[in-house]
Parts: sequence; C-alpha cells; structure tokens
Amino acid sequence: MSTVTAPAPARPATTAHLSFARLLRSEWIKFWTVRSAAWSLSIFFVVTVALVSLISLAVVSSGPNDGPPGPDDVLAPFNVAAQLGQVALVVLAALAITGEYTTGMIRSSLTAAPRRTPVLWAKFLVLTVVFFVVALVANALGALLQQLFFSDDLPLDLGDPQILRALFGTALYTTTIALLSFAFGALVRHSAAAIAIVLGALLVLPLLFQIPWKPLQEMQPFLPGIAGSTITQTDAQVEAGWESFPPGVAHLTAWEGYAVLVAYLVVVLVAALVRLKKSDA
Amino acid sequence: MIQAQGLTKRYGEKTAVNGISFTVQPGKVTGFLGPNGAGKSTTMRMIMGLDKPTAGSVTVNGAPYASFRSPLTEVGALLEAKAVHTGRSARNHLRALAATHGIPDKRVDEVIEMTGLTAVAKRRVGGFSLGMGQRLGIASALLGDPRTLILDEPVNGLDPEGVLWVRNLVKYLASEGRTVFLSSHLMTEMALTADHLIVIGRGHIIADGPVDEIIARSTKATVRVRTPHPEQLAAAVAGPEVTITPKDGGLLEVFGATAEQIGDAAAAARVTLHELTPLSGSLEEAYMTLTADEVEYRSDAPIPTTDPATLTTTEVAR
Repeated sequence: MSTVTAPAPARPATTAHLSFARLLRSEWIKFWTVRSAAWSLSIFFVVTVALVSLISLAVVSSGPNDGPPGPDDVLAPFNVAAQLGQVALVVLAALAITGEYTTGMIRSSLTAAPRRTPVLWAKFLVLTVVFFVVALVANALGALLQQLFFSDDLPLDLGDPQILRALFGTALYTTTIALLSFAFGALVRHSAAAIAIVLGALLVLPLLFQIPWKPLQEMQPFLPGIAGSTITQTDAQVEAGWESFPPGVAHLTAWEGYAVLVAYLVVVLVAALVRLKKSDA
Repeated sequence: MIQAQGLTKRYGEKTAVNGISFTVQPGKVTGFLGPNGAGKSTTMRMIMGLDKPTAGSVTVNGAPYASFRSPLTEVGALLEAKAVHTGRSARNHLRALAATHGIPDKRVDEVIEMTGLTAVAKRRVGGFSLGMGQRLGIASALLGDPRTLILDEPVNGLDPEGVLWVRNLVKYLASEGRTVFLSSHLMTEMALTADHLIVIGRGHIIADGPVDEIIARSTKATVRVRTPHPEQLAAAVAGPEVTITPKDGGLLEVFGATAEQIGDAAAAARVTLHELTPLSGSLEEAYMTLTADEVEYRSDAPIPTTDPATLTTTEVAR
C-alpha cells in the first residue's frame, strides 16, 4: 500500500473497448447492485399477485351478477392491481436515472461512455426487459392463482385472443408507464419531481379532466393513463367505455390508446436525450 | 499528451476559463496549480468532455476524448471524490465501470488491492470517508490502465500515508512514459510531486514551466538591510524594479535587488551597513506572488502585492 504496486499486467490492447453490448452489461450490473431494485420489484410483484387474488375473492364473494360472469369480472382484478402496482415501478424507474444525478454517478458513467446517449439507451433497454418480464410473470401468476381458486365463478378463457391481449397489455401498459417515469427522470434529473409528474398525470389529471367543460372533456381520452390503459381491456370493454363519454369526444381503440401513451414516452425521451447531449454533466 | 487551444468556458456572465492554451507532456508529472475558483476543475471537466467549451478545443493524445473507441484505456480521471452511487458497493461500482469496456473482474480486484480498498470493497460507498472516496476515485481512474491520468485534487482528504502513496504512484506512472496531470491548491505538495507547473488564476494561465524555473522567476528575493543612513542608501539602490520599505531603527526591506547589488551600491555611495540579509524565496512565496491578483475568493483584506516578504506563513496557509 505504501509502496507503488507493480504496473498492471498488460492486457491485449484489442479486448478493452466500448461497445453497446458492454454498456448493456454495465447497466444490468448497475440496476441489480442498488437495493431499490430488489425492493421495488418485490413490492410490485407481491402487490400485483396479492391484489389479483384478493379482488377476485371479493368479486366472487359479492354474489352472482345479473348474468354469467364476463370478461369485466375476470379482468377487473388485474386492472386494479396494475393501477396500484405500477407506483412501485414508477418510483424504481425514476430512481434508476435520477439516482445517478443526485449522487454524481452520472459523471463516472459519462466518463466511461463519453458519447452519452448510448448510456441512456442501454439503461432504457435494461429497464424495459426487466419491467416487462416481471410484470408478465406477476400477472401470469395472478391468473394462475385466480383460476386455481375461482375458476368456477371467474372462468379465464386463455383461448380468447381478447383476454390474452388484455393480460399481455396489462404488462405492456405497466412497463410503458414506468418507462415514461424513467424518461421524465432523465429530463428533470430530480427523483421527487419525476415521480410527482408521472403519478400526477396518472392519478390527479383524470380527476381534473372530469370537470364538465367541453375542451377538457375532449382531451380526456388522450391523457396518458386513460389512453394507455385501453390496452389492458378487451375491445368490448373499450367500446363500452365510449358510451360513458360525452358526445363529440374521440373514441380510441385499444392499440390507438396505447400508441398515444407511447407518443408521450417518445416526446419526453427525445427531450431527455437532447438535454443529455447538449448540456454539461 | 493533452493539448488545449484557446479553451474558454463561460457560465452566463461569469468566465470560468478564459482562452487558455497549454500542453501537458507525457513522461512527467504536470501540476495544475491555482487558488479555489481559478478554473482548474472546469478545465479538467472540459478535457473529459463533461463540460462543453464555450470556445476553443482540447485534445488528449491528438483527439477529443469523446472520439475514442476505448476512453477508459486512453484517459483515467479522478474529477471529484464520490462521483459514485452511494447505494452501491465499491467493488460493484468498479465492476459496472469496467463492464462498459469489457475489462475483466480480475482487473477490478487488482485496482482495489492497489488502492488499499480490499477491506471495504463490499461496503456501500455512502458510508465511506473522504479518504476512502478518494482512493475509490483513484481506483476508477486506474481501471483501464490508461496512458493519460487526470487527477483533480487527489490528495484531498488523504492521510499522510495516502499522500505519500499518491505522490509515489504518480511519479511512477509518469516514469513509465504516461501523461500525468494533477491539480492542487497545495503548493508544498506540488513542489514535491510535480516536474512541471501550470499556474492558473481567474481563468488565465499565469505561469507555465518547470517547477524550479517558476520558483526562481517568481520569487524576487527580498533583502533586509540595516544602516545608520537609510535615506542615503535608499537613494543609492533606487531603481524602476526596486521597491524599498523603510522600517524602524534604520531597517530597510529591499525587494527587487540582490544582496550583491545593494552591497556594491552602498560601497559606491560610502554608506555604512550594519546588516545585509538575503531572504530567500519559496514556492509558497512564488505562488502568492503569482496569484495575488488572481484570487477569486479572498478571506480578508487584499494581499500587498508589492511586498511579498511581509507574507507570513499564516497567510500562506489560508
């Protein structure tokens, strides 16, 4: 320690260099080596599986509906679970990038990869894969438990492409909302601000836009949460939802609604990439 | 080799670095010396591509840092202590950085051992002392076994043993032919470590040369003279380059003339001398002389620039 150690053994000069695959590996290591990852993913997983089971139980216990149980009853537990579980992923996604700014880590990251934008893309891809896989597994496990205990009252027809799309769409929606939080985090570089913006847009804006004033009502279907969550429903559910809209308000199909959410993500992500590229770190 | 050409950085109204040009040569330790707020860190951040120059350019080994295929093996940098996620362990931090270049975990363990972090490598960085944070920063800089090292205040917060270790390390790395660029506001540390000095003050380069030369050039020795005829002696040694400060009891402090010149002048004017004492300059004195006009943040009254001999060690220590 007090004397200078022998120089590092010379490594073949060709092996050590930057590549996007290696940035992905680096971001993968970064993601799993802070405690917030395991915590937030566990909370999301437990909340999703537990809520799907509990709400299924509640639906069954509330007694028979007017008719035979339909997709509404089967899917409702998944939709509610997604609304609550997504908060854990929104927080985790924002922290994945704002944590680098608040601790100064970003300067180490950008020194290692001075072209900058690949760092953000690598992080984005790692989060996308992790979130989607975890969300898919959580919903699949929820569905399994639901069918194990309540298949008589809540028959989940996995042969129905509409039901499959809704379940797959639930994982897709949760992932995309979390990525929107990541993009806001990269743009504003402040944990609380990013989380507040996304949760505000998801939970508060829909209330505000219920004010019976025409321009607000016309914009309501384009709110990120309302537009994006259409992908968690069957076409029949989406169309039934249109009935509650005031006349003259746009009707978005499931994929159109999801495309609106993706458009928000693209805009914020591009703004974040521009800021990353242009400004001092 | 690091080359800066007309490098300028402005933050709004404030100019942090003002059109500086310099070259840092391989094979020796180049010290980057200046008071706080002089622009040292900003310059280093521009070298690493973290801050964009308002004007001018800077290259490392002939190319902008961001253009390298393998940045970490070209340049290793310690820019500030704890540019590290506080929730991650030291080893995982280094593993994540190494992974970007496909540097194996074996090298990670090597730099951990080199920097004396083995005992704390698995602990989260949030609990690190300033000294351990510095060691981790140096470990990150060494990770790619780089040809060029840029270290901003590397001995900050280190214990005496750590200071000695950094001093030996940078000298050794320079002796291997690497480029070593080291910033500090500690003049004594620079006198012991650096071969070459670039002195910066308020965003300007105010001296650039070998350490010995800078000391010699910037410390015009002060001579203390005692005589029963101070007025006559003052008239005899007076000149455009010479400043004379009369003191009590026939004592004069002469700045800008050597003891030989004063003795000869006294003899020619037939003035009796009771004392003739040269007060030799030091690097501290050189530094204070150079930067006296350039200090950004003063702690009290301005330093009298015409009379550096009145500087006491307590003033230097500020």
